[in-house]
Amino acid sequence: MELLQRLNEIFREVFDDEDIDITPEMTANDVDGWDSLSHVNLIVAIESKFKITFSQKELLTFKNVGDLLNSIRGKITTC
Amino acid sequence: MLLAASLVFYAALNIPYLLAVIVLVAMTTYGFGIWLDRAETSKGKRALLWSGVAVNVLILVVMKYLPFLSTNLRALSIFLSLGTQIQPVKAFASIGVSYYVFQAISYLFDIYLEIDKPERHFGYFALYLAFFPKLLQGPIERAADLIPQLKSRYEFNYDTMRFGMLLLTWGLFKKVVIADRLGLYVDHVYDNVHAFTGVPLLLASYAYSFQIYMDFSGYTDIALGSGLLFNIRLTQNFNNPYLATSVADFWRRWHITFSRWILDYIFKPLQMQWRNWRNWGTATALVVAFLVSGIWHGASWGFVIWGGLHGCYMACSVFYRPFQKKLHKALGLEKTRLLKAWQIFVTFNMVTIAWVFFRASNISDAKYVLANIFNVTDFRLGEFLLSQGRACINELTVLIVIGLISSRLFSGKECKVNVLLRYVAYAVIVLACLDFGVSKEAKFIYFIF
Repeated sequence: MELLQRLNEIFREVFDDEDIDITPEMTANDVDGWDSLSHVNLIVAIESKFKITFSQKELLTFKNVGDLLNSIRGKITTC
Repeated sequence: MLLAASLVFYAALNIPYLLAVIVLVAMTTYGFGIWLDRAETSKGKRALLWSGVAVNVLILVVMKYLPFLSTNLRALSIFLSLGTQIQPVKAFASIGVSYYVFQAISYLFDIYLEIDKPERHFGYFALYLAFFPKLLQGPIERAADLIPQLKSRYEFNYDTMRFGMLLLTWGLFKKVVIADRLGLYVDHVYDNVHAFTGVPLLLASYAYSFQIYMDFSGYTDIALGSGLLFNIRLTQNFNNPYLATSVADFWRRWHITFSRWILDYIFKPLQMQWRNWRNWGTATALVVAFLVSGIWHGASWGFVIWGGLHGCYMACSVFYRPFQKKLHKALGLEKTRLLKAWQIFVTFNMVTIAWVFFRASNISDAKYVLANIFNVTDFRLGEFLLSQGRACINELTVLIVIGLISSRLFSGKECKVNVLLRYVAYAVIVLACLDFGVSKEAKFIYFIF
């Protein structure tokens, strides 16, 4: 799926790791170095690449990559 | 019935208005929780959340900070030569308020973020706030962790009960024997800092680091042990904090329920809010979060500076961490035992420096201690060894032995300890409490928060 691939690219860039392959079930525990600092970098990169803005509430409730994907999908289709 | 017992426990402190406070917090938070869930619009939800939080914060501020605020406002108005007279307000005793107000706020946030549903049964909700093992000094529990346990049927389990009693006794021992005895020397020095210089100041500061740890973790063990007697598993608050390899690591090991609260409800939201400032946003969020931590501990500049120091430590590490990694790699020290030992040593000292502000009677005392800690010219070794200093060193040696014993006894949660060893341990602990316990008025340090 195209969205997943685009998001995967961003992950690879932010975590500086060409071997990352994200799945919807993945959480921060599954990726080495995904802490609150890199999480912020990830969000900023996503917002800038997709030209979207997440709400405060959403950002605090994402549980896994799947939640992130759904939110992004919702925002880019309503543009 | 547990609720009634908990309320009686709180009432037994003989401060009648505190009962009113907890009932007020329980009723308003319960109400706001249900309205929040019912609210349709996101604007409405947000308004309800912030009103609920504001009510709780207001109660906390009135109970804890009014005297501090009024004294400082008064000083300010005199400084500015304003005509108005601000009367200083008498302090309210506020044991427990900081803890359950924080629980109430986390409850409202979790409903707003739809992580949890509001509790419909007022009794269980009130018990979530008032459960007596954790009422006075925490741990700060999340509704999703505690309420289901409170609702489940009680089933007698011999092993759980046994471990609960062991933990309770162990906590008592840490507090009454170790912490209070260390406290004797700490008080001896810190209550009169100008009479000392050099090594006693250093020793008293290190002793205080251990005193507060033994005191608070002892209390936590009592709380966890008591909870286990009712088959309730409260959250662990400590994880060998002085083995931390960085200040960030320290906060993952010290007062864990409190720092997770600060992380989830203050730091993360702020960090997200300021994400476009990148590292500066994170650093600022850290400083703010730790200032809040400091203020939560109490209405004094000592606590604020303590919090601010930790905030600065953390903020600096945000910028320093990438260089630090490169430095370790360049020196070939990455992942070595030497590096780890060094990091533990440095972290312990940084934390102790902050504790100096926490413990000292006032800021000038704290500054005196830090300025004179390395003063060796006036130091007399012989005199020192004959004095109380030696008693303190004895305590610290006992502490090391304790550390080794407890890591055997408590490794792996509810371990099945050899029967004979268990009874010997009980006997030793109880005897130690009776013989070596300091029979002063029982005073838990973290009571005052």
